[in-house]
Amino acid sequence: MESLGQFEQIVLTAILALDDNAYGVTIHAKVEELSHPKKVARGAVYATLDRMEDKALISSWLSEPTRERGGRSRRHYRLEKSGEKALKESARTAQRLIETITRSLGGLAWKPR
Amino acid sequence: MEAALSGPPEWLERMVLFAIPPAAREGVAGDLWETYQNPGQYAVEALQTVPFVVWSQIRRNLNLPALILQSALIFLCFGGPVTLMALPLLMLREAYRPVTRPSPRRAIREAILLSCGAMVLLLLIMSVHSPFHVRAGVDSFTWLSLFLAALFLSPFLCLFRAGLIMQGDRRMPLAADNLSKDALAGAYQTFLKTAFCRNVLEGTALAFAAIAGFFFTWNVLLIGLFVLAAVYLLLDTIPRVASAGDFVSLRAQYQRELLRQEQLRRALRWLWFAPVLVTLQARLAITATDAQDMVIALLNGVAAAILCFLVAALNREFGGRVQEQIGVLDRMRES
Repeated sequence: MESLGQFEQIVLTAILALDDNAYGVTIHAKVEELSHPKKVARGAVYATLDRMEDKALISSWLSEPTRERGGRSRRHYRLEKSGEKALKESARTAQRLIETITRSLGGLAWKPR
Repeated sequence: MEAALSGPPEWLERMVLFAIPPAAREGVAGDLWETYQNPGQYAVEALQTVPFVVWSQIRRNLNLPALILQSALIFLCFGGPVTLMALPLLMLREAYRPVTRPSPRRAIREAILLSCGAMVLLLLIMSVHSPFHVRAGVDSFTWLSLFLAALFLSPFLCLFRAGLIMQGDRRMPLAADNLSKDALAGAYQTFLKTAFCRNVLEGTALAFAAIAGFFFTWNVLLIGLFVLAAVYLLLDTIPRVASAGDFVSLRAQYQRELLRQEQLRRALRWLWFAPVLVTLQARLAITATDAQDMVIALLNGVAAAILCFLVAALNREFGGRVQEQIGVLDRMRES
């Protein structure tokens, strides 16, 4: 199965959270929100989306053109089955990490922010 | 009356559109438009975004076998330094591949420009090097033949490009805006079958060509390339059956396979023409062994440019057809 990098995990999570409204602008906004306080270049999001599309983790299509975009279409994204699987696996790994760190740093005294 | 939505100045938008690779233009330019606040913010945002998009498109469209073949051909004709300079240009050219087929007017203009360029270059060499002919072993008859060949090249190239375009117009599948999932699965299945048969046939042809290469004393490297390509095509793991999934997944699979097959064909077209070019280079070197390097280089350059024009024309036409088909699929809705 495809293992994901940290940024890929964030982008996939953003697409998952946005559901039907996942396209460049909204994905970038969500990624910035998830990576707070780090700033993220929109171009990096596009490059990651392209890479994950090539790996068949996500798929994309064009919407109807709209006036608020100067008569251009939105490129919408959606998670594919393999993307969902890879994201679940990453979440499980993250969960194990959190549990280990919490145990090592003194139980309930430490919580991830 | 409805107020006009504010957007970037036209000149600025044009510049940005020009910088964004065509394959990503629709989505990226629309996103930049949507987040427009003022020209400064728009320009800065575009400057920060475009390099990533260009790099991503280079990575997506990079066809390593085709790039190696093109570099080898440039190296053969012009040597190392030119090849090193041409490499980044070739990679950028891949990123900015058009998503449509060239218009007939543009295709014919390119053909005329190329043949006129060849004629002017030959005239130039003839006028500058007239006392040099005999010494160089290149007689007037050869020069005249070359000049006439360049003269008749124009209608030939125009006909070639026009024929390709007309053939493409006749057969553009999947022109519908809406398609049912079953119809899409059927179209994908047909494509897979055709691609599989084509790969087997072309793989066999390449294997025969490699065997023939031994008799025609081709370069060992060239024979090796043919064998490698034949093995790859015959062992290619193209899916025989479209895997299950909803409309969007099926469409994504179809688009990926279309692109993969097109990348493969693009490299193979260069490969098929490589022996012709290599033989041509060898002939020119033999017929003018005493000639000055510059003249040989120019003649080689003209011949190589014409051959490369033919391969590039084929690639642009067939690649454009695939890109158009991917675009149609992108906008297709499930009925």
